[in-house]
Amino acid sequence: MQKSYVIKRILYTVLIFFVVLTLNFFIPRIGVEDPAERYYPPQGNMSDDAYEAVKELTRKQYGFDVSTAEQYIRYVSDLFHGDLDTSFKSGSPKVADLIFERIPWTLVLSLSTMLIGAILGISFGAFAAWRRGRWPDLILMNASTFTTALPSFFIALILVLYMGFEWEWFPAYTDPNMVAGFDWSWEAIGRVFYNAALPIFSMAIGSIVSYAQTTRNSVIAVSGEDFILTARAKGLSNSTVLYKHTLRNAVLPIVTSLGMSVSGLIGGAVVIEQIFNWNGMGTLFLEANNTNDYPLMMGIMLFLSTFALVANLVTDLCYSLLDPRVTVGDKR
Amino acid sequence: MNDEKKISSPDTTEQENTLTLRNLKVIFPNEAGVIRAVEGIDLDIKPGECVALVGESGCGKSMTSLAIMKLLSSPPAMIRVDELKLNGEDLTLLSEQKMQSIRGSQMSMIFQDAMTALNPVMTVGRQLDEIFMRHSNMKRKEAKEHSIKALAMVGVPSPELRYKDFPHQLSGGMRQRVLIAMAFACQPKLIIADEPTTALDVTIQAQVLELLSDMQRKHNTSLLLITHDLSIVANMADRIYVMYSGKIVETANAYELFKKPLHPYTEGLLGAIPRLSDDHHEFIQIPDSVPHPMFKPQGCYFHPRCRYATEECKCDMPPLREIAPGHCVRCFHPLSEKGEDK
Repeated sequence: MQKSYVIKRILYTVLIFFVVLTLNFFIPRIGVEDPAERYYPPQGNMSDDAYEAVKELTRKQYGFDVSTAEQYIRYVSDLFHGDLDTSFKSGSPKVADLIFERIPWTLVLSLSTMLIGAILGISFGAFAAWRRGRWPDLILMNASTFTTALPSFFIALILVLYMGFEWEWFPAYTDPNMVAGFDWSWEAIGRVFYNAALPIFSMAIGSIVSYAQTTRNSVIAVSGEDFILTARAKGLSNSTVLYKHTLRNAVLPIVTSLGMSVSGLIGGAVVIEQIFNWNGMGTLFLEANNTNDYPLMMGIMLFLSTFALVANLVTDLCYSLLDPRVTVGDKR
Repeated sequence: MNDEKKISSPDTTEQENTLTLRNLKVIFPNEAGVIRAVEGIDLDIKPGECVALVGESGCGKSMTSLAIMKLLSSPPAMIRVDELKLNGEDLTLLSEQKMQSIRGSQMSMIFQDAMTALNPVMTVGRQLDEIFMRHSNMKRKEAKEHSIKALAMVGVPSPELRYKDFPHQLSGGMRQRVLIAMAFACQPKLIIADEPTTALDVTIQAQVLELLSDMQRKHNTSLLLITHDLSIVANMADRIYVMYSGKIVETANAYELFKKPLHPYTEGLLGAIPRLSDDHHEFIQIPDSVPHPMFKPQGCYFHPRCRYATEECKCDMPPLREIAPGHCVRCFHPLSEKGEDK
């Protein structure tokens, strides 16, 4: 990996970060004359003077009393001091605190889904490619048609109906005690995964199938490449050809899709979290949206996009370690 | 095929052939019918000999080479062969594992497009090492020394540095040199070069051919050169097989074939080579293209494109006949019998 490539990628990421930051600041301000009005909508029973006074107070409190440029500078400088503003929620909690409170719960779902999906999906996909046209492959091909047509929330509803209510294998909605009584004991951790089972299942099914599909197609495509024939013509054994030549090349598109799911890790699944009443980022975002809590929304958006940017950067750097051709554009 | 048996290379029977191939057939059955890619090919290659297999694309040349290496996967291909011997060893009896130890060490292959024939995510050095480690039981360090030597041998400048390069960092000619180094690594008895220069610039082509021919002479290797271009084999090949639509239509030593082609197809191929020396030279054009392997014509496969075709040619497949010593042709009306008709 060339140094110039790494530096270029990092600078590029920083540049994009500032674009995101700026858009994130200005988009909520577009088309709104007075942000205070968004926070504090006009009330029928209040006199105009009184409403004006309330708005004035709100502006002061949230820093809307200065020009937009000044607000932007203040926003950016606050940000670099680790301050993501204050939520409109009662008690004026810090946005950053709200976000960090929810992230672990979202990660429980998303990380488990990703790991299950990647491990099972990649192994099954490689197996299907190896047994191309036989039953594992046929199952995969049919399953992929099926799961792409079925959204994960639909699978979730069916799982809730049967595994939750009918057979009572797993809780159909999250036990509120799970969050409140969490104390890092094995029992508490066990309870978390017991509660998380259905949401994880419902998301993992699609994830397994999509990883398997990617892996299968990639392995089959690489098996047809000329250099595989060269490797065989060199007299290499089947396992050497498979591991050192086929899989080594087939892993590249899989890394890309892994990177993409990493960047989505903390976004939370809005619908799935709603169905299971799971207190993750998705739910938080929905709350912010429903209560017009702009600082919170801005904070979440900025946090998610920054995470995605970093994840993409890491993926790209990993990719260039795996595929020497990636850096070639910088050399010329 | 009842007509193939009498063909032999008569001159030196005391010396054992490097490759003996008898009646190779490769077919691909599918729903719509049967694709007969190769229909009973015989090849004899003697030690140190360079034999060219010439034909248009789609005539079954590459299938023949893959079948000799036993690299065609079956299914989909169905392969039948009466005899396939490398240095007297019957390859048809060998298990896949035994074949793996023969591939790369006793016979190897040079592929057409060196860009796609090299693993893009592995340094060329590592790809060379693999051969030494596989066939000569070397450790990585020892293999590296040999690989660098092998690179130097094929004229790769500063081989220690190139050893660490990835295929995309080399030029087309260098890549082809690496493939040649790989093929000669274990000094095999037979090397099959499948269109080794087609993907290269003309100037590089000449260099690579010269290298190939040098290496072949130095190591006394037998070379099966597969190409669609008669002009590149003129200086290299000892003997030439001309293939058309899955069958051998003419075979002779190179000099004789160029001087006195007997088959109208060979005449056409030769006629398509531009010559500077001859002012009045006219291009002889062969109309149309090779028949689709699923819909081959009745009789001689070449008759729809042949300007000498008669009724007889439309009904029966002519046998491969020996007209002069070592010169065989599959034609009812070989050109020499018509006298000087040009």
